[in-house]
Amino acid sequence: MSKTLKLEILQATGNQKKRYIKNKIFQIFVVVFAIIATTPVFFILFELIKKGIKQINFDFFTKVAPDSFEAMMAVSSGKGIPGGILNGIGGTLIMVTVASIVAIPLGLLIGIFLYENGKSRYANIVRDVSDILQGAPSIVLGIISYIWIVKNVTHGFSALAGSMALAIMMLPLIIRSTEETFKMIPNSIKEAGLALGIPYHKILLKILIPTGLSGLLTGILLAISRVIGETAPLMLTALGNPTLSFNLNKPVDAVPLLIWQFYNDPNLVDLVWSSSLFLVFLVLVLNLISKRIISKRK
Amino acid sequence: MNSEKVTKRILFIASFILIILISGIVLTLISGAFPVFEKYGFSFIYSDKWDPTEGKEQYGALTYIVGTVITSLLALIICIPFAFSTSLFIGEYYKGTLVAKIIGTLIDLLAGVPSIVYGLWGFYYLRPLLFNLGENTQGYGIFTSSIVLAIMIIPYATSISTEIISLVPNHLKEAAYSLGATRLEVITNVTIPVARSGIIASYILALGRALGETMAVTMLIGNSNLMPKGIFSLGNTMASVIANQFGEASGLKLSSLIAIGLLLFVVTGFINGIGKLIIKKFA
Amino acid sequence: MKKLVLFGIVSIGLMSFVGIGGLNPIKTNEVGTLQGSGISISAAGSTFAGPIYKAAFGKYQAKTGVTVSYGLTGSGAGITSLKDKVVDFCGSDAFLSNDDMKKMPSEVVHIPTCSGAVDIVYNLPGIGSINLTPALLTKIFMGKTTNWNDAELKKLNPKTKFPNLKITVVYRSDGSGTTAIFSDYMSKVSEEWKTKIGAGKTLNWPVGMGAKGNPGVAGTIGSTDGAIGYVGSEYAELSKKISFAAIQNKAGKFIMPTVDAVSAAGKSDIPADTRVMETNSAEAKAYPISGFTWIILYKNQNYNGRSLAQAQETVKLIDWMLNPEVQGMAKQLNYAPLPAKVVKMAKGILRTVTYNGKALLK
Repeated sequence: MSKTLKLEILQATGNQKKRYIKNKIFQIFVVVFAIIATTPVFFILFELIKKGIKQINFDFFTKVAPDSFEAMMAVSSGKGIPGGILNGIGGTLIMVTVASIVAIPLGLLIGIFLYENGKSRYANIVRDVSDILQGAPSIVLGIISYIWIVKNVTHGFSALAGSMALAIMMLPLIIRSTEETFKMIPNSIKEAGLALGIPYHKILLKILIPTGLSGLLTGILLAISRVIGETAPLMLTALGNPTLSFNLNKPVDAVPLLIWQFYNDPNLVDLVWSSSLFLVFLVLVLNLISKRIISKRK
Repeated sequence: MNSEKVTKRILFIASFILIILISGIVLTLISGAFPVFEKYGFSFIYSDKWDPTEGKEQYGALTYIVGTVITSLLALIICIPFAFSTSLFIGEYYKGTLVAKIIGTLIDLLAGVPSIVYGLWGFYYLRPLLFNLGENTQGYGIFTSSIVLAIMIIPYATSISTEIISLVPNHLKEAAYSLGATRLEVITNVTIPVARSGIIASYILALGRALGETMAVTMLIGNSNLMPKGIFSLGNTMASVIANQFGEASGLKLSSLIAIGLLLFVVTGFINGIGKLIIKKFA
Repeated sequence: MKKLVLFGIVSIGLMSFVGIGGLNPIKTNEVGTLQGSGISISAAGSTFAGPIYKAAFGKYQAKTGVTVSYGLTGSGAGITSLKDKVVDFCGSDAFLSNDDMKKMPSEVVHIPTCSGAVDIVYNLPGIGSINLTPALLTKIFMGKTTNWNDAELKKLNPKTKFPNLKITVVYRSDGSGTTAIFSDYMSKVSEEWKTKIGAGKTLNWPVGMGAKGNPGVAGTIGSTDGAIGYVGSEYAELSKKISFAAIQNKAGKFIMPTVDAVSAAGKSDIPADTRVMETNSAEAKAYPISGFTWIILYKNQNYNGRSLAQAQETVKLIDWMLNPEVQGMAKQLNYAPLPAKVVKMAKGILRTVTYNGKALLK
């Protein structure tokens, strides 16, 4: 402890001493726990990098996934596993994009609705529904999307079905973070806008959303991170595709789907780590971009 | 005024879409689960018999319900001290500093690790660790799964509550400081009450995430169909059994799995409801 | 408001652009050349056959330009997707029972593509392969023989020094064709197993622990001294620490799960529609825990507005799977190729697949 702090504590009497000590202890607590909370990241990243970094080369981003035979032939002649995850990257990008186009506007609107109608009975129901939806296992949403879209809309496995399953998964996160963010914006800002006679939708678009942008982006980023790594719902909807395809009506692959395939194939299992590293890296990039957007606005 | 009506209408329609969505989901699940409820009625919910052998099939969801509730609640309990501390670290104590940004990004990365990778990491690295601590079930089990789940849900519990905590208006805090409050006292008396709603919301989201997690749990929980005896025994969860068995199921078994999916919505609603009630009581 | 409308138009525009099915989507194979869209085929099913199917389909695409998407959903989900008519065919490790065939919207045929073995693997440090009889297998997996230094094991393997180590049984926690083949065999060789446990893709195991997927089982056994379990043959060389058992077959010989031994199992009598479990074959050189994996498709290919071209390509692909090139690939990936007799039967069945009454293959 520093000299000045010791002095302060000496000068403080009885109860005050206790308060200061409690304060310091709590702070230490917080710091220690926060640091411990980040340690799993290091462990996991370390393993991913250790095992996955050797697979990452130019081919990784530009070639489609290899199959068991090619891998076996290459490895037995001393070379590394050939190919890459291009078909997975393409599929992940298209499905996450379509899912976002559906889920972000809808989630924002519902979040705003809840913010505006806070305590009404109907709003409470909507809020509870959103929280319950958050608990739905991804595979159940995959089954739903299989029945609704694969069977009845595209009559076959498709990227559209995959996107819809992902969109449903993204909704609750965006809804809740939107509502809670708006609730933290001081009412005075909104009232000032109303007093100036600004139409409601402009208040939303030009005042509230920009003010709460940081919170909104947090929710959106969390939602995207959530769906980027999901396997189960995509298995029943997107199916997989050995080629790079952006056709919403046809099956498509995705990086987590590829990870599942690699896991189940003894000749390809080493690719699990590099593919995972890619997903984590993608989340990092999105994270940095959103932080940039927020700091630019400040 | 016209545009205000239009806007309000659009907002309402959006909220209604959500209602339609969940109704559709529930209806679809009910129709798939119908054969099971026809056969067993409500006893499906409290029966712990699960025998998939052809010829003497019997299904009951209780084992999975228990497993789900235990792992998720345990995961949340483990996660909260860490998530809460991290939120305070980033949103309050070291707000705006580089360290806070780094820690924030690191936590967000946890959300980006695919669930199957959590399962693999847990399988290859966590499991032997726990095995060496003397478990006799090869390191599988409810406790192992809960730890991995806790790690997985930290970003959900942290991200949003960090945002909310950092949005607490400065003037409120400064007023308290000017009265001579210590940091801790400002946090307890100002920050937390103001940010309470957001913090709770993020924990509910984290709990939801834990309830629905499939892949990671399925690789670590040991997949036993018997009722777990304690947190170190093997078990199974609703999401995990659906993921494990769906690919190969048909007929009555498939309906049972869909019924379990439906029940998970009920369980989630139930736990959320109880949680919100408890919080109201402590208000 | 204007910005919102603009945003909406741009989003819808992007979605339509990306989604228009009729346009030629860009597809590249590994070599990076663009190919015309033409026909694409989708299928789902068995994870056991995943590696060989994907390898074969990849070669087919390089040869003909036809993209084949195969999803590792599991045999059951594959059959469901065939029933829902959302795939061109499915892959299954178990054939449909007569009852299940009746539940399909119209008649289906089964085409065997290759066989695989279920290897009995275990982790005994320093010990290579051991002999096991069906009776001992039953005792071990039912929890009656609990220690590796059991007298019966010693009697069967007099030269092996068994340690005093508990036997830990590891089984598949997820529904699996591998479990189906294993339990089918056990039901054939043990009346007790048949009545108490039976056969199926998931079982009520009396002892042991479940691990997910072949890699899960192999991984658990590899890290547990004294563990024993069953894995699909394509996982043959997964871990240095695990060894294979030679199982005594119906003819009394102790056979290791080699590719030739599995093929030998296919030489016994097969019914005309190939729907049979190869387990417990009477052939002298056969490995007793073997099984076919099938491709299932509709006999009449004119359904749901399927084009003649789509049907033709589907049947051509399956026919190609039966050729020596693919069968040779299978062998290199630790699957057992079909014996010549079965290839002939399979091709015969394929010739009965029609479109509007006309056979698709000559």
